[in-house]
Amino acid sequence: MKEHKKTCAEIFRLAGRVRAEVLVHSSESALTRFADNIISQNVAEASTSVSIRLTDKGRVFRTSLNQPGGAALSAAVKKALAALKLQKKEKSLLLPPPPSPLRPAAPGLYVPATAALKPSFRAEKVAALARLCRARGMKCYGTIENGASSLTVANNSGVFASHRETSAVYGVTARKGEGYGWAEQYSPDASKIDYAAVGARAMDKAAASARPAAVPPGKYTVILEPAAVGDMLFFLGYSGLGGRAWLDGRSFASGALGRRLLHPSITITDDALEGPAAGATFDFEGLPRKKVVLIERGVARAVVHDRRTAAEAGERSTGHALPQPNTYGPMPQNLEMTAGDSSLDEMIRSTKKGILVTTFHYTNLLRPKTVEMTGMTRNGTFLVENGRVTRALKNMRFTQSVVEALNGVEALSRERKVINGWGRMCVPAMKIGKFNFSSATGF
Amino acid sequence: MFGLCEEAIDVLSSRRADFGDIRIVRTRAQSLGVRNGETGSVDDSETLGFGVRVLLGGAWGFASSGLVTRAEVRRVSLLALEIARASAMLMDRKVRLAPEPAYRDFWQTPFIKDPFAVPVEEKFRTLFEADRLMRRDRRIKSALSSMRFVREHQWHATTEGSRIEQVLLSSGADCRATAVDGAQVQERGYPCSHGGQTLAMGYELIDLLDLPGHAEKAASEAVALLKAPDCPSGELDLITYGNQMALQIHESVGHASELDRVLGYEESYAGSSFATTEKLGSFRYGSPMVNLVADATLPGGLATAGYDDDAVKAQRWHIVKDGVLSGYMTNREFAPRVGLRRSQGSCRADGPANIPITRICNLSLMPGSAGSMEDLVRSTKRGIIMENNKSWSIDQRRLNFQFGCEIGWLVENGKIKKMVRNPTYQGITPAFWGSCDAICGPDEWRLWGVANCGKGQPPQTAAMCHGSSPARFKRVKVGVKAG
Repeated sequence: MKEHKKTCAEIFRLAGRVRAEVLVHSSESALTRFADNIISQNVAEASTSVSIRLTDKGRVFRTSLNQPGGAALSAAVKKALAALKLQKKEKSLLLPPPPSPLRPAAPGLYVPATAALKPSFRAEKVAALARLCRARGMKCYGTIENGASSLTVANNSGVFASHRETSAVYGVTARKGEGYGWAEQYSPDASKIDYAAVGARAMDKAAASARPAAVPPGKYTVILEPAAVGDMLFFLGYSGLGGRAWLDGRSFASGALGRRLLHPSITITDDALEGPAAGATFDFEGLPRKKVVLIERGVARAVVHDRRTAAEAGERSTGHALPQPNTYGPMPQNLEMTAGDSSLDEMIRSTKKGILVTTFHYTNLLRPKTVEMTGMTRNGTFLVENGRVTRALKNMRFTQSVVEALNGVEALSRERKVINGWGRMCVPAMKIGKFNFSSATGF
Repeated sequence: MFGLCEEAIDVLSSRRADFGDIRIVRTRAQSLGVRNGETGSVDDSETLGFGVRVLLGGAWGFASSGLVTRAEVRRVSLLALEIARASAMLMDRKVRLAPEPAYRDFWQTPFIKDPFAVPVEEKFRTLFEADRLMRRDRRIKSALSSMRFVREHQWHATTEGSRIEQVLLSSGADCRATAVDGAQVQERGYPCSHGGQTLAMGYELIDLLDLPGHAEKAASEAVALLKAPDCPSGELDLITYGNQMALQIHESVGHASELDRVLGYEESYAGSSFATTEKLGSFRYGSPMVNLVADATLPGGLATAGYDDDAVKAQRWHIVKDGVLSGYMTNREFAPRVGLRRSQGSCRADGPANIPITRICNLSLMPGSAGSMEDLVRSTKRGIIMENNKSWSIDQRRLNFQFGCEIGWLVENGKIKKMVRNPTYQGITPAFWGSCDAICGPDEWRLWGVANCGKGQPPQTAAMCHGSSPARFKRVKVGVKAG
């Protein structure tokens, strides 16, 4: 963070009386990839990026570079100051905000030992997995990665907010013939990852999903494991719970705050401050992120805002700005779905006929107002009959409105899983009464 | 820069690496956007960095850094060697690269007008004008117009003696209107979707696109879609138009023909491919009129360069010839596995921070003999024209796909009858391409850029182009509903 401070100070000196906002992001990461029981790719990266927003007399300009000091930084700022003078004036331009009190980040997000893991550590973990896979006549594919990143948002009106965290992810796909299994675990602390359990789960799934059979497309009861639920929650949040889409009328919640839109068992919160999806406690303008209850027992309560959408909506910013200016508007990035009182086993036991889905693949949005999605099942799809898993199924394509699906929820699991991707989210497994599979595939 | 490169080459050669290379890359990029009468985005960036790749004892290591100094090049080269030693702990065979001559060359994208010499305020004038023209109807809730330019200057040195300097340039622009009325949300973009048209050209592309000249039409079609009937459901003939065919080629042929996927090396993430190696030369991928050609020499192509990031000279080759699977996208590591003496040269990295991986090259459907688009419509009894991709999804072996487009038109008895909204179609790759019964001629052939193709772990973005004329596919499942 000392380096970030030095970079910011230099930029503010060069900017003089022009209002300047700086985003500095540094990361060191390493990833070992494996396929066919061997290491297939092994990489490490160190980088720093600096992005500078200059605003003056209604004009705005942004410049970015990856050299945090020296002649390159000085040249970039000077060039940007010259370009700024030529920009069109805008009446509604917001200046970078003054500082606000920030809460410290949740404990446990930065674990120095995780950042320091060596290539040999990752190779040993993969070698152990490959030995087990070979013994069971399987092949393994996946990644093991570790790294650290730090983010600073600062402006010359006094904002200086910094956050750092570490990350370790172990993801395994196991294959036995036509049977596939998958498991993944993320943690800021690599020592908390249960490498053996992740590998075993992927291998057990692969063994169970060998010789899959076909069932005709149609509507089925589904039991979605957390990774699949996370896919749906991502699209719900991305397309419907940000202030810009909501104001434009593109969101499923547009004009519907206070109305019950989802099943009463569904409560969705964005919470960067604490809990399993916690992260940086400030947004990309350095404003404090607030905990926002978006859906409360099925009722749409709020969307997230930055200063611009908040002003348009007559609200206050919830601290969810992306780097300004941008065309996307604010986004929820720390989504959490409340747990239920069931378990995956109980969901299976209570199902007369249904389909158990491990993950979805290549999902995409078709219609924003109903959050209609399509995608494939992957990595273990199973038929459930009379309370037990009876056989593996070939993968199927679904075409389904998430809003409709989340109205048909029959159970949520107590246990939830943290998924680290675009932002961070925490989701349970879910049973849904009717889910539309629109076509099949041959494997 | 080649002086700094020598530091890495010395370190790698002195440790007896089987192969090693360093790429130093300086990237200048600019992206500008206007939304609803305000500056939506503006960023002018310049980055510099390098990546060192080493093959030691038959195992790979790679490391990169944004600090370009002699000492850092040395540190990162040693780290790449350490990583390669770790990779060697778990290998089943030594990686051997297909041979390639050493080159000393300079290559650059031809252009007429340097986009970085055009003032930002002039670019914004064009964008604000397009924005203004799109917002004439109150139902247009979001008008977006944007431009982007990238110039990548690379210095690539290998332990085999190649010293290749390249300057790759691309430009892109689009405008997009979103109309909202109650439960209906409809979007229409010009000239296409997914960030617009991007090609390896200079600012002359922006002049040719003429955003203000097309902005009103895009907006009025978005508004018209609000009241248009839904795309009918059933099996109809499909005519692909605009950039939809680019996405169809990209997803169902481009990714399926990446040899690393075919061999299982992407199994954990993007998936594998049904187009397995025993099918090469015999598998019927499409009807006999289907010819798909990969071409790294194609003028304007985003994957066009003198050399790929394996230091292999640009080539042109068939992926599908007369309907039969005939080739793959390859790198130097995997090319020998399908009997190739030399890589086809389709290995690229996203900037200096990423290791080069097998990538889709420019891949195009060759024109057919069905004449003009009007001729194609005239010869269609009942079908749907679908233009510009809106959504895409395909399974992990690249077989079952579903695409959605911005706009459709119902064709009956050789005439366009009406506009339809929310057009979608599903298919299975070989059956779909096998149903292709007409491809328009060369006068209708257009090149479309895909500037945001994601692949790999860590994720990398690459750009390529797909060219095609409008084509017709028989009895396709259209109008897929959520049920």
